[in-house]
Amino acid sequence: MIIDVKQVRKSFAGTEVLRGVDLAVDKGEAVVVIGASGSGKSTLLRTINNLESIDGGKIWVDGVPVHEPHSAHLVHRHVGMVFQQFNLFPHLTALKNVTLALRRVKKLRTPEAEELGMAALQRVGLGEKAKSYPSQLSGGQQQRIAIGRAIAMEPAVMLFDEATSALDPELVGEVTRVMRQLAEEGMTMLVVTHEMGFARETADRVVFVDGGVVVEDAPPEQIFTHPQHARTQRFLQRTLAG
Amino acid sequence: MTYLDYLPNFFSGLAVTAAVSGLAFALALALGVLAAVARQWGSVVPRAIATTYIEVIRNTPVLVQIFLVYFGLPAFGLRLPAFAAGVLALAVNGGAYLAEIIRAGFRAVPRGQVEAARTLDLGRRQTLLDVVLPQALRLVYPPVVNELVQMILATSLLSTIALNELTGETLIANAITFQTMQVFTAALVLYLVLTGLVSWGARWLGRVAFHPPLDVRGIRRQAPLRRFSFGRTS
Amino acid sequence: MNLDALWESRRLFELGFLFTLRLTVITVVTSTVLGLLVALVRISRVPVLSQLMRVYLEVFRGSPLLIQILFVYFGAAFLSTSGGLSVLTAVTIALTLYQGAYISEVFRAGFESVPPGQREAARALGMSRFAIMVDVITPQTFTVVLAPLFGQYISLVKSTALASVIGYADLVRQAQGIIDRIGSPFLVYSVVALLYFVISFPMSLGARYFETRTSRRGPVTA
Repeated sequence: MIIDVKQVRKSFAGTEVLRGVDLAVDKGEAVVVIGASGSGKSTLLRTINNLESIDGGKIWVDGVPVHEPHSAHLVHRHVGMVFQQFNLFPHLTALKNVTLALRRVKKLRTPEAEELGMAALQRVGLGEKAKSYPSQLSGGQQQRIAIGRAIAMEPAVMLFDEATSALDPELVGEVTRVMRQLAEEGMTMLVVTHEMGFARETADRVVFVDGGVVVEDAPPEQIFTHPQHARTQRFLQRTLAG
Repeated sequence: MTYLDYLPNFFSGLAVTAAVSGLAFALALALGVLAAVARQWGSVVPRAIATTYIEVIRNTPVLVQIFLVYFGLPAFGLRLPAFAAGVLALAVNGGAYLAEIIRAGFRAVPRGQVEAARTLDLGRRQTLLDVVLPQALRLVYPPVVNELVQMILATSLLSTIALNELTGETLIANAITFQTMQVFTAALVLYLVLTGLVSWGARWLGRVAFHPPLDVRGIRRQAPLRRFSFGRTS
Repeated sequence: MNLDALWESRRLFELGFLFTLRLTVITVVTSTVLGLLVALVRISRVPVLSQLMRVYLEVFRGSPLLIQILFVYFGAAFLSTSGGLSVLTAVTIALTLYQGAYISEVFRAGFESVPPGQREAARALGMSRFAIMVDVITPQTFTVVLAPLFGQYISLVKSTALASVIGYADLVRQAQGIIDRIGSPFLVYSVVALLYFVISFPMSLGARYFETRTSRRGPVTA
């Protein structure tokens, strides 16, 4: 198991957002997390790579105990993350965005870093935009570069936090295509999304989170056609009807 | 005697204005960075000192500050000539405003940037140097330039302590030639030219020295930014 | 330390304080009115007038307030046959024009910050331009404008100190008179600074309060 989440609890300002979440992700699995706004799914993702601390429970990522404060920071070596707001560094070109961590963290020398960086950019289909600044690129291109930046670090796991929610509809496709490609290449990924199409086609498992707990956890064929729980049914009806 | 005979004096006054502004601004920048760091990241005592300094300066008129330096300090044995007193007073004044501009600049860098850096396993120092600082610099550039312009305009107050900068020379020219309208119009034009050049130069520098080029529409004479707000803060 | 003589002079400090206050109150009103009018002209984009306003703004924001005050005062004396303007009038005019320029930009930014969709929606409902201005634009501008406006007023309070240069009997002028009599310039100017601080600091806290009130955003959910 690459990700092992056991009974995680998290509160914000008195409100309990995660109320005992259990989740496991195996190597090579693409797991999609769905749920309503406020259900806690983004928070869950952010606790896994220590962007949020937890109030209770245990999290292991690729052997790193994230619930232990003094070792939690090590998790970033093993996990890459893609944000809803892209969070590209605006003052750096696409290539520099990708190579920054390679140079500073992995201590690679510039020529080496640039080679790996270009490879990552090509993998997401943006090799020719290496010298462009984020402000010169569309949202879809920016997000793909953000993905390239994360995978260049060769993480064991990729986390996607609503990666397409901030994109115009016609740009969503180019990003989900890259995500599907990564899944097919065997990347272990945990994806929080509203894109049901992506969940149906690419996920190995779909996890439905509601009210701070995992309500249902099953392969897409099962969960979309025969949801076991009433809450799941209601959610799917609401979402897919719109 | 026409005001035209006084033109050389106007230009020497302009030179003094420029000299005072330049020196004061350089000192103010240093002071401002120190005060900003102390107030934002310092321990209790430096933070208290910096906060007091900033709030007192920002809430009292610069004219009073000038008088305190020029007329007040001699009581403590420090009798400065007008030029030095002017530079000191304006530097201390500018430092307080720059400190707040700098602090606001750092707060305005979106939190997502720091989070992204964390997920890439960048350390604190690397995040500061490679991610936060470059962006903060871009954000503070226009208001810092604006502060320079304000400082140039503030040098006119030094005429009250008998410094022969542009306003001082203007008053002399007026007293001697009595060609009030021409004299003051000339002074006005010279100030406009000076501040215009500084703004234009800063815009040019923004395009040339920053990557990607800093497109600054904001470097025109903005309102004195006594409280600079960027909107979203972290 | 000449503390007794200082205390003796308190009447003069009071007088100066009142004169400063008077000038402040007058110019707050006049510059706000002027600023609002100029902003309205600029956003309405009336052909010749807007360009003129632009020139006005460039001139008054790109030159020192002191020059403007001196220009008005000496210029009026130069041009008029009856001795020119009183000190108070000259300073009020200059300060109004100076601060009005900055305030107009605050208002303009406020107006332009209201999303254009608001205007369109109101037009679609059949509202007149006037009604839109009063019921839709202005209320939304109000909250945005409050904090920077306060900032300008603080700046105005401090700017009134320049009136002393042409002889207006404000705090700074009175201080100079007091120093002539009892000496101790450091002490006297410190008291003056304190008095300005007492007026200005609460206002800056108020501005900061409004700032946080109007720039709060909701938390990102899920």
